[in-house]
Amino acid sequence: MISQEFEFHAPKQLSEALNLLQRYGDDAKVLAGGMSLVPLMTLGLLQPKVVVSFNHIRELDYVNEDKGMLRIGAMTRHSTIRANPLIGRHCPLLSEAASYVGDVQVRHRGTIGGSVAHADPAADYPPVMLVVGAQVKLQSAKGERVVKMENFLKGLMQTDLLPGELLTEIQIPKLPDGAGSSYQRLHRVEGNFAIVNAAAVIEKGFKSARLGLGGVGETAILVDVTKRLGKGVNDEALRGVSDDAYAASHDAYGDLNGDADYRKAMARIYAQRVTKAAAARMS
Amino acid sequence: MKVPVKVTVNKKNYNVEVDTRMILADMLRDELRLTGTHIGCGTGSCGACTVMLNGHTVKSCCILAADADGQEITTIEGLSTGAQHLHPIQEAFVENQGLQCGYCTPGMVLSTLQLLTDKPNPTEDEIRHGIAGNLCRCTGYQFIVKSIQEAAKTINSKPAASKPAAAVSSRG
Repeated sequence: MISQEFEFHAPKQLSEALNLLQRYGDDAKVLAGGMSLVPLMTLGLLQPKVVVSFNHIRELDYVNEDKGMLRIGAMTRHSTIRANPLIGRHCPLLSEAASYVGDVQVRHRGTIGGSVAHADPAADYPPVMLVVGAQVKLQSAKGERVVKMENFLKGLMQTDLLPGELLTEIQIPKLPDGAGSSYQRLHRVEGNFAIVNAAAVIEKGFKSARLGLGGVGETAILVDVTKRLGKGVNDEALRGVSDDAYAASHDAYGDLNGDADYRKAMARIYAQRVTKAAAARMS
Repeated sequence: MKVPVKVTVNKKNYNVEVDTRMILADMLRDELRLTGTHIGCGTGSCGACTVMLNGHTVKSCCILAADADGQEITTIEGLSTGAQHLHPIQEAFVENQGLQCGYCTPGMVLSTLQLLTDKPNPTEDEIRHGIAGNLCRCTGYQFIVKSIQEAAKTINSKPAASKPAAAVSSRG
């Protein structure tokens, strides 16, 4: 049982929910899937005075196509992300990332919005979102704004969300025709957070090549390796990609799953693996 | 703070009042006396608290009881009317020694139901991934996997009309 008392609200409309967040400001915590928030409350690590559940607001659970972009509602569950055909066609590495989040039960309840707002440094979506140039829509009772993913992630589990603001939509540019992509991660226990993870998108003809790395810094990191792949994916190119990944991981943290040196060494490996895999899928 | 919760559990309607701090697992166990749902880690890792919410397995220790208002839940008690009328999955676990202490078993059986609903003929790999959210400290999983394989065989060999129902309707 959670020990600290709190007010609970379960609005049915987004506008009602935003008004609640506006009213309570810093005292309120958003409850999406609850796969992070509820355990944190059970352990007493978070003690919000007010909890606003978004589980009864249907309007935030969607995957829509909007010209060159996919719009994904924040309350879309990981299991939906994993299986959705639009995502599978236009951004398959997002489906790949979703398949690694937790386990079957976690994926039925956890949401992309909740996960991205929680901003764990080793979470599965951020490296993918960085590498595809995703944006997030933030709404409050006062208005809305769209922020690029690289500007949204601010620090260790810190985002650009202001009090009263809610992440309502994730905007994913469709991958260009012929681009190859891959998402891979290192974990020792299925369902745990990754120790290190990596995403790559390589445009047709090696026009551009970018990596997203997680687990090697306070936030996921974007690394442009286009120059390294000028002559394609040969040994020299992979050594260059490996060095770039290592350099980008200079702020890697250490914990019981791996110290900083280990994470930096694994960043080298996973950067190369996703580069090779993405290049192989390029047409 | 207390809030009213209207919930359908195993096709029966309940109206209860719960403290906002109560988690769904505790509501099922303490308020509704459905003690088949177990609490292991209490923080979303072990899966002993697995129930079906609107037709999909979830970990009930990570859901606030208040948040279950208006929802449909299936617990392990919803799978059979008693020891004489076990669900084919439960029978398979008994026949193939898919349990020792039994603590993880209700969650394991519900995850099996979810798996066989999604993939009626799972490979061993798919089985192991399908139950990755349910930890067992006794068995080493080998006989659990066997139980699931046998359950799949039994269910698939029945004519469609008499196949045991999956959980309640899936989410819209």
